[in-house]
Amino acid sequence: MTSAEREAIAQRALEHSTADQTEVIVQVADAALMRFARGISNQNVASITHAISVRAIVDGRTGVASTNDLSDSSIAAVVERAIALAALAPRDPHQPQLPAGGTTHAPDGAYVAKTALADPFARAQICDAIVQEGERADDWCAGYVTTSAMGITIANSSGALASFDGTDAQANVKMIAADSSGFAEAYATDLTRIDGGRIGKQAVHKAAASARPQAVEPGAWTVILEPAACGELLAYLLSHFSAQAYDEGSSFFAGRLDERFFAETITLRDDYAHPLAPGMPFDYEAQPKSRVTLVDRGVVRAFVTDSYYARKLDVANTGHALPAPNASGPQALNLVVDPGTQSAEALIAGTERGLLVSRFWYIRTVDQKQAIVTGMTRDGTFLIEDGRITGGVRNLRFNQSIVTALARATPANDAHRTGGHGYSLVVPTVKIEGFRFTSTTEF
Amino acid sequence: MEFEELAGRALDTSIARGATYADVRFERGRTERIEVRNGIVATLADSESAGYGIRALVDGAWGFAASDDVSNAGIDAAAARAVTIARASAAVARRPFGAPPERAYVDRFITAIARDPAVVPLGERVALLLEAEKLARSTPKVAVARAWIDLWRTDKFFFSTIGSRIEQRIMQSGSGVQAMAVGNGDVQTRTYPGDVGLYQSGGWEIVESARLRENAARIGEEATALLTAPQCPSGTFDVILGSSQVSLQIHESCGHPAELDRVLGWEANFSGTSFLELDQLDRLVYGSPIVTIAIDNTMPFGMATCGYDDEGTQSGTSDIVRDGILRGYEMSNDTARSIGRESNGCVRAQSWEYVPMIRMCNLTLLPGTTPFEHLFDDVRDGIYMESNRSWSIDDRRLNFQFGCEIGWEIKNGKRGRLVKNPTYAGMTPAFWNACDAIADERSWFAWGTPNCGKGEPMQTGRTTQAAAPARFRGVTVGVGYDD
Repeated sequence: MTSAEREAIAQRALEHSTADQTEVIVQVADAALMRFARGISNQNVASITHAISVRAIVDGRTGVASTNDLSDSSIAAVVERAIALAALAPRDPHQPQLPAGGTTHAPDGAYVAKTALADPFARAQICDAIVQEGERADDWCAGYVTTSAMGITIANSSGALASFDGTDAQANVKMIAADSSGFAEAYATDLTRIDGGRIGKQAVHKAAASARPQAVEPGAWTVILEPAACGELLAYLLSHFSAQAYDEGSSFFAGRLDERFFAETITLRDDYAHPLAPGMPFDYEAQPKSRVTLVDRGVVRAFVTDSYYARKLDVANTGHALPAPNASGPQALNLVVDPGTQSAEALIAGTERGLLVSRFWYIRTVDQKQAIVTGMTRDGTFLIEDGRITGGVRNLRFNQSIVTALARATPANDAHRTGGHGYSLVVPTVKIEGFRFTSTTEF
Repeated sequence: MEFEELAGRALDTSIARGATYADVRFERGRTERIEVRNGIVATLADSESAGYGIRALVDGAWGFAASDDVSNAGIDAAAARAVTIARASAAVARRPFGAPPERAYVDRFITAIARDPAVVPLGERVALLLEAEKLARSTPKVAVARAWIDLWRTDKFFFSTIGSRIEQRIMQSGSGVQAMAVGNGDVQTRTYPGDVGLYQSGGWEIVESARLRENAARIGEEATALLTAPQCPSGTFDVILGSSQVSLQIHESCGHPAELDRVLGWEANFSGTSFLELDQLDRLVYGSPIVTIAIDNTMPFGMATCGYDDEGTQSGTSDIVRDGILRGYEMSNDTARSIGRESNGCVRAQSWEYVPMIRMCNLTLLPGTTPFEHLFDDVRDGIYMESNRSWSIDDRRLNFQFGCEIGWEIKNGKRGRLVKNPTYAGMTPAFWNACDAIADERSWFAWGTPNCGKGEPMQTGRTTQAAAPARFRGVTVGVGYDD
C-alpha cells in the first residue's frame, strides 16, 4: 500500500469524525523471517498486516479504537467506536491540543526496495551460508534472517499529516561447539549488506576461541562489553529518559537534571537519523522528532517528551510519543552512544586482567531507582590477561547499577547497530571498571 | 462452519501447488483494555483483528504465510506464499523434519463463563478501576497508582487437509491494581493480585473475583511502608514463597526448560536451550519427591485451556515431573514424533498472523498436605516473599535470580518484620530438591501469565501455573544489593 493510499484512508476517517480532536494512524507491514536450527528451518514465516487506529478526544476525554479491516464501513465504525469510548472516560485536565506536525524527511537509506521485495530464497541463501560455516567447523547452530517493510501514515484534526516507509533486515546466529558457543549479528535496511558467510565465520571464531571454558570467581571485574552486550545493558536505561519517569520520580535522575552521573567520556543521544539506524522522522503523534542530547559528557541534560508531557511540564515537545493509548509515556527509541578515541583492541590491550563479554542474556531490573539490573553472560565470554585474550570462561551472573557502570566507562571508537524489539541502538565497545559479577553457572 | 469455503480454497490451493499437508486457521480477535493512572483514564482501547495463517508442508519442510485479505485472490496468494516458503525451507534443509498431525477432529469448544463481559457496561468497568486506583493512593507517598482490566475474546476456525474442522471461542480476562511509592530516595511498588494481576480464562466473573477495591488501600500502605523498611538481609536462609511467586518459579525453571523445541535447540539463539536434555528423561531427579508438575490444558480457569491446540491436537493432561523425576515435555506433533512420543497439545500462536509453536500452556504444581500457616512452624531463621518484581535465569535455565516486591523475616516459626528488596538465587535442580513442604489445596491457585515471550518473530503467550505456597531450605538470599 502506498503512502498516498494510506493518506486517503486517514483522510476518510478524519472526515467521518465528529470528535473535538481526532488522530488516525494507518499502518501496513510485510514481514518475513526464516529461522534455522540443527540443519532444518524450524520457522519460516511471512505475514501481511494492516491496521487503522483512531484516537478521538471529546471535551478532554479520550478513546482509542482500532481494526485491521480497512473497508469504508469499517473505517466509519472504528471512528464511531473511538468516540463512544471517549464519551465514557473522565476528563483529563492535562489533555493537550494534538500537534500540528511539520515538515519531515526520511533519513537516507531508510527504505530499500530490494529488501522490501526479497523472496524466501534470498533469506534461505543467507541462512545456508551461515550454516555452512558451522558445518565446516563441526558446530551446530541456530539463528534467523528476517526482512520487513513497513509503512505508516499519521494524520490528525490539527492538520498534521506525516508518512514514512522503511525497511529492515537482520540476521543472527548462535554457533554451538562441544563446550562453548559464539554469537554474531548484523542489521541493515539493505538486505544485500547482510553477509551470511561473514556472520557465520564470526560466530564460529567466537565458539572456537571460548572452547574449554575455565571457571573464574565472581566479584568486581574490569569488563570490555562488545556492542551487543553494551546495547542490551543500555536498553534498560531507556525508560529513565522518559518525561513520565522523570515526573513521577522513578527515573534515576528525577529532580536532578544537569547533574553529572556518568564519566566525562559518555555522551548519549536519541537520534532517529543515524546512518546505521535510519528511522521514522516523526513520532506517533506526527510531531517531528528532535535529535536530543540526553547526556552530554557525563551530565544528564534532557528527557524526551510528547504533547501530553510537554504541556504538563511546560517544556518543548521533543516528538517521542508512542502510539495511543500509551500508559508508558514518551520514550527514547533510537539511542546513540558517542564513540571514544581508542580502538576496542587498545582497550583490551590496556586491560591487565578482565573479561571480554560478547553478549548478555535475560537482563531484568532489580531496583528501578538505582537502575540495578541482573543478567547472565552468554555465547562468548573471555578472560583477558596482560592485555591479551587468553581463553574462554564459564558464564557469570551480574548485578550492577547501569548508572554506576557508566560512571566508570570508557567507550571505544567503533560504532555498531544493535537493538531489540521496537528500538534501535548504535553503540561502541565499552570498557567498564568494577563490574560486579555475583555468581557463575555450569557452562 | 464459518470460513468453510475460504478454508477449502486455501487447502486446495496449497495441495495443488505441491504441499503434502496444509492447515489454515482463521481467527477473529477482540482485545479491550482499560487502564486508569492517577485518576486519569490513560487507556481506553478496543481493538479488533481478523485474518488467517496457512501452514504448508513440502518435502518435509514447513512454510507459513498469514494475511488479512479474505478475498479469493488474497487466499490464493497466501497459500502460494506458504508453499513457496516451504520450498525455500526444503531447499536448504539438511534433512526432512516436518510431520502433520495424525488424527483429525471435528468439534467445537467454548470457554465456560459466568458473565459475558460484553454485557457489563463500559461505565461500570471504568468506575471499578477509578475507585480501586483511588483507594490505592492511600498515603501521600503513593506517587503513581494504576488499575487495569484486560478482556480477550478469540474465535478460531481450524481446518486441515486430513479433515479437521474445529471451531473454538476462547475468553480470557484479567485485572489488577498497583501502587508505586516514592520517597526516602527510593521507589517501591506493590501489585495486587500476585505480580501482574489476576488473569484466568473466563468472563467478567474473573474481574470481580479479584476484589480490587477490597485490597487496593492495603497495597498502597505496603508500598509506603517498604520505603522505610530495612533491607532484606543477605545470607543463607529458609525461604517460603507465596503462591504467585511459586507460579513464576515453575514458569521459568520448569515450564520453559520443558519445551521440547528448546530442548532440541530450536530456541538456542534467542530464548536459549535447556538442561532437561533428552538423555535425562526418566532419570533426572528434578526435585524432591513431593514435587509433581503436570500439564493440564483442560484446567478450569487456565489461560491456555482450550479444546484443541493450534495444530489440531486435542487438549489433555500429562506429566513433566512426577514425584521429583523428569517424565515429559511440552510437545508439538513433529517434535514429539522425533522422540517417539505423541503430541500433548502444547502448540499455540499469539494470533492469526503468527505461526503455531510449542508454548508453555497450563502447568500445575500438585498441592501438598501442609496448611499454609504451618509452613512457618519449624523455620527458625527465614524469609517469606510475595509478588515477583524481577526474574532472570541463564539460557539453559539453571542459574536463576528472582526478586519479590515484599518480604517478611521469619523468626522461630513466626512471621516477623517487613523487609524490602528481597531477592533469592540458586540453581534449578538444587532449589527444587530443597523443597520440603508445599501448602495444601486450600491455598492452591491458578495464576495466569498474560505476556510470556518466546520465538522469532516474538510471540506473546498466555499461560497458567497453578501453585500453592512452598518452603525451600538453605537458599541464597539478598543478592543484588551488595555494592
